[in-house]
Amino acid sequence: MNFFGLILGLAALLIIGFGFVWVIRGEYYLGYLWWPYIMGLGILIVVGSMFVQSNWGSALMGIFGVSLIWGSTELKEQAIRTELGWYPFNANQKPDPPFVEIIRNWPAPHL
Amino acid sequence: MTLNWIGVIAASATFLGVWIGHISVRKIEYLSPTIWVPSCAALLIGLFLEFGALLSKNHHLSAALGIFGITVLWDALEFWRQQNRVQKGHAPANPNNPRHARILHSSTLSTNFDWLDRNPIGRRLTVEEPKGIQKSWQ
Repeated sequence: MNFFGLILGLAALLIIGFGFVWVIRGEYYLGYLWWPYIMGLGILIVVGSMFVQSNWGSALMGIFGVSLIWGSTELKEQAIRTELGWYPFNANQKPDPPFVEIIRNWPAPHL
Repeated sequence: MTLNWIGVIAASATFLGVWIGHISVRKIEYLSPTIWVPSCAALLIGLFLEFGALLSKNHHLSAALGIFGITVLWDALEFWRQQNRVQKGHAPANPNNPRHARILHSSTLSTNFDWLDRNPIGRRLTVEEPKGIQKSWQ
């Protein structure tokens, strides 16, 4: 029996579950306009996983990286949910990401 | 230095599993007159994939099957969570689906309007505004 895939699957479930938490928190404190930076970080982590020789380390890095990419696509919908009152809305000024005016002109991805 | 592709394979399996699951659960739940049939199908497919992961001698294949299988098993549960969202009005109901028609009839919160299909405006909506958005859409 090879338990490698099953354990990785369970790890992916936990990492994705953590993704729900950071998307809610991240949108609350930072806002959804940070999505390109989170997506870029996720892509870098996935690319970085290719240089990790341990199979466990590389796979977990890949899963974590892609969970950041996925989460970045959820931020816009999370912002709408807070505006509707489905989640707490943070009325305080949120920090603008660098190049915010350019990012505002990009359609935020959602899947 | 040899590149280790298992991270990219794990990432791809996770992304595809979550993406396909995300879209198919919403679509199937929207169209299916029953919830237990797609839920049981996802459960069986997920278990089959996990069994494949356990039997595979190749780490790359085991990782892909194990991760994809877990996401499909999660989808089995997600069908019920999606139905709850429809009942709460957080996801659009399909009036042509008899199960959703019953929900639309019994739950005052349910709607066939997709609240999330718009851009954020940067402030909390007033109590009256969602009704206005819904009316302008109708």
